[in-house]
Amino acid sequence: MANYFNTLALREQLEQLAKCRFMYSSEFDDGVEALKGKKMVVIGCGAQGLNQGLNLRDSGLDVSYALRPDAIAQKRQSWKNATENGFTVGTYEELIPTADVVLNLTPDKQHTAVVNAVMPLMKEGACLSYSHGFNIVEEGMKVRDDLTVIMVAPKCPGSEVRAEYVRGFGVPTLIAVHEANDPKGEGLALAKAYAVGTGGHKAGVLMSSFIAEVKSDLMGEQTILCGMLQTGSILCFDKMIEEGIEPGYASKLIQYGWENITEALKYGGVTNMLDRLSNPAKIKAFDLAEELKDIMRPLYNKHQDDIMSGHFSRTMMDDWANDDANLLKWRAETAETNFEKTPAGEVEISEQEYFDNGILMVAMVKAGVELAFETMTAAGIIAESAYYESLHETPLIANTIARKKLYEMNATISDTAEYGCYLYNHACVPLLADFMKDIKSDVIGKGLNVDDNGVDNARLIEVNDALRAHPVEAVGAVLRGHMADMKKIV
Amino acid sequence: MVPSTRLASIQLNNATISFEDRFTLSELDWTIEPDQHWVITGANGSGKSALAAALAGIGKLEAGTVEGLPERVGLVSFEAQAELIATELKKDDADIMDVVSLGTPVREMIFEYCRDGELANDLVEKFGITKLLDRAFRKLSTGETRKVMLIRALANQPDLLILDEPFDGLDVDTLAMLQAHLAAIVDHVPMVLVLNRFDEMPDFITHVAYLDKDRPDPVKGSKKPREGGRLAFTVDRQDEAAFNELYQLLHLKTTDLRVPEADPASRLPALDPSQPLVKLTQATIRYGDTLIVDRLDWTIERGQHWQLSGPNGSGKTCVLSLITGDHPQCYTNDIFVFGFQRGNGESIWQIKQFIGYVSTALQWEYRVSTSCRNVIISGFFDSIGVYTKSTDHQKKIADQWLALLGMQARADQPFNKLSYGDQRLLLIARAMVKHPPLLILDEPCLGLDDMNRQLVLALIEKICEGNETTVLYVNHHTEDRIKEIDNHLTLDKNH
Repeated sequence: MANYFNTLALREQLEQLAKCRFMYSSEFDDGVEALKGKKMVVIGCGAQGLNQGLNLRDSGLDVSYALRPDAIAQKRQSWKNATENGFTVGTYEELIPTADVVLNLTPDKQHTAVVNAVMPLMKEGACLSYSHGFNIVEEGMKVRDDLTVIMVAPKCPGSEVRAEYVRGFGVPTLIAVHEANDPKGEGLALAKAYAVGTGGHKAGVLMSSFIAEVKSDLMGEQTILCGMLQTGSILCFDKMIEEGIEPGYASKLIQYGWENITEALKYGGVTNMLDRLSNPAKIKAFDLAEELKDIMRPLYNKHQDDIMSGHFSRTMMDDWANDDANLLKWRAETAETNFEKTPAGEVEISEQEYFDNGILMVAMVKAGVELAFETMTAAGIIAESAYYESLHETPLIANTIARKKLYEMNATISDTAEYGCYLYNHACVPLLADFMKDIKSDVIGKGLNVDDNGVDNARLIEVNDALRAHPVEAVGAVLRGHMADMKKIV
Repeated sequence: MVPSTRLASIQLNNATISFEDRFTLSELDWTIEPDQHWVITGANGSGKSALAAALAGIGKLEAGTVEGLPERVGLVSFEAQAELIATELKKDDADIMDVVSLGTPVREMIFEYCRDGELANDLVEKFGITKLLDRAFRKLSTGETRKVMLIRALANQPDLLILDEPFDGLDVDTLAMLQAHLAAIVDHVPMVLVLNRFDEMPDFITHVAYLDKDRPDPVKGSKKPREGGRLAFTVDRQDEAAFNELYQLLHLKTTDLRVPEADPASRLPALDPSQPLVKLTQATIRYGDTLIVDRLDWTIERGQHWQLSGPNGSGKTCVLSLITGDHPQCYTNDIFVFGFQRGNGESIWQIKQFIGYVSTALQWEYRVSTSCRNVIISGFFDSIGVYTKSTDHQKKIADQWLALLGMQARADQPFNKLSYGDQRLLLIARAMVKHPPLLILDEPCLGLDDMNRQLVLALIEKICEGNETTVLYVNHHTEDRIKEIDNHLTLDKNH
């Protein structure tokens, strides 16, 4: 199979990369109508598969699960998940031929095998749905011409997809139609109905393309989202220990620090995150971030270039073929880092203290978000996509670290994200070695040691202007406005 | 001023006091220290006046002990007032003597009784009854007799002042005067006030005793049910949290409790009155090999209030979640709810719109940072948090509920900062706000203290009295019975 993206002309590539728009609530007025009475068969009964199925069924849709014969015979967890929740379970042969929509909710790694197995069984004119475009875009899966291919990707872990639905809400969701496979022109209607069925329309839906989703998702997850937080955690922790900070404190400052500082990011962008600092600390964080951006820019460019050229997915697929040797080795190494092995102390840290004593962490988030955004948009990805895959998702990943450190993060994220994170971390730690030599506990662990908070007016104005003028802030303000309208917590 | 006469404390130990076989106060444990001032309050018919009278030595001590009752008690109450008037009427021997009896004049009633004539004089003036001094006591109006009673009690140098609803029927000026007078003598006389309206409570009150209705066993050989009361709890005014809860409870109990109207704009689809609300046929729930609910048949007709009970683990909550649609196995059972045979393309929101639901689990799940008002509003949308624009009218209804709960001042406070009991009250209001055809209350009083329990039960009774809502009530505390509920389903443990 050839990389699909690379088969397109530059003109077509740019057109696909530029697709991303926030949809209006009124576009979902038809509800689940397009799927009413249709048979939806889910493949994969993990967290996404099970929880999306529960939501769809509670929205009045007909959902069943197709599992491999050995999963049924051995009553594996997927079989238990489906049967205990009262779903019909059958083999591919039993259920796929009856399906109007097949929902492929297996991990990326299994997509080629799964799609090759189900495609011959699917009835004429049915729909195949993905939650990630990797198989189509990077692996170049060719789907039968009569089938409609769509993507519906809730931007949260499966458990949250369910929890938010039960509360009467939903999670932000990305939908797309694979234009090469939309023979009846019904792809968009099906994707919208599916998003309504999972509750996504209440939280906001982005209309994107398979290509924009894959290229921006891969870039975001391996750089700022997972890569930067992983690298930052390890470097900051080791520095604090070197500086004589009590290990329990250091561990807690990092484990919960990302979550606390990126909460400010979620509400008011990079500007608000830095506004939480005192003026001298803000200027310090700004300067550190500028320095970090200069050092890391070539690395971000390389990641984006490798994603665009297909080099990244090829290397990863090689590792898949090699039984994940590199990934598993790295996963074991992560488990052995000092940060991972030091439990968070009992010490009380106030929300503000996470900012005051975590200036370097703030600088790292700022540098990572802005670099990822700049690199993505420079590569032709539209600003909206770039915003979601950088700034918007950072707090979500930070939450996973707060729960159970890096282990939880790597367990929750997709296999593509984990592999990308591995590449980033390997390159970034040595890249920042010199920079870290000059770092002291005033920017990580203890807070600035200043007599008063005085700063130079001209410099403060310069810094504030620069923060506010960054393009990620402009698109962020608009999109956060849409999201707030959606939520409307009156 | 009268020199202060300090008393020993008054102590009731496990005292049971009966009042002419009509009413019994049971198992009273209560201590009044000399420097305390109490308000007695409670549900209607819980024996507030009886307890006040008991401090004046009225009633028969059946069991336990009562110690330290003072010699001179100033008692003002409707009962004492009625008694005094009855005595006066007996003196009217006009028919026998063939003379026109004028009855005892007010002057005599006051000055021959009171030990502090100077104070009596002063009070006569302040109460504005100087003109009445020569009038016969029994010719006075109720309000005027009440004033005479008050003067007699206040000016007799009492060791203990017991005032049963002293502020009832007084005009504004007199009320202010009396309150000022009481405030001036608090250092000298301990006081016990019976008050139904909490808002009238003077600032000097230090403690509150709350009475609750009780149903004592009938007297041997008699079939007549007896009325009774018991001391449910006492609250020290210093304890702000408890005091605040008490305020809410009394507010609810003593205001004309009216359930706010439903929102006419969000009217529910009409239900076919010939069909039951809920029909479970051979309902079965199992997890793996464990059978939780075994072939249960249950029909809930409209207007048929049910109580569901059973030991822990008997599947009560599971059965409820089959009805609410929260249990995944509702798709594998024969369930008919609100006109829908489950599993035929209906969404759970179509089911939930007919249900108001409260449970401990819901309270755990209600972890959104939103305001108290929004928690109530979310009941219109069956959501946890508010994600839909609400109308001004819906906000107004929510505010009416907050007022009913005595929580209007906290409308904009974050829900998650409230006490457990207050959260529960708001969730009950949330469940009731849309006047759902079916209100499911799964152990609504669990984890609530006595006061909040009273409040919740009062609310539920009110809802049951209306004819819009059918109540399904789950509990295993027998004292939390609701009198309107007469259908019972008891589940047994299957495993």
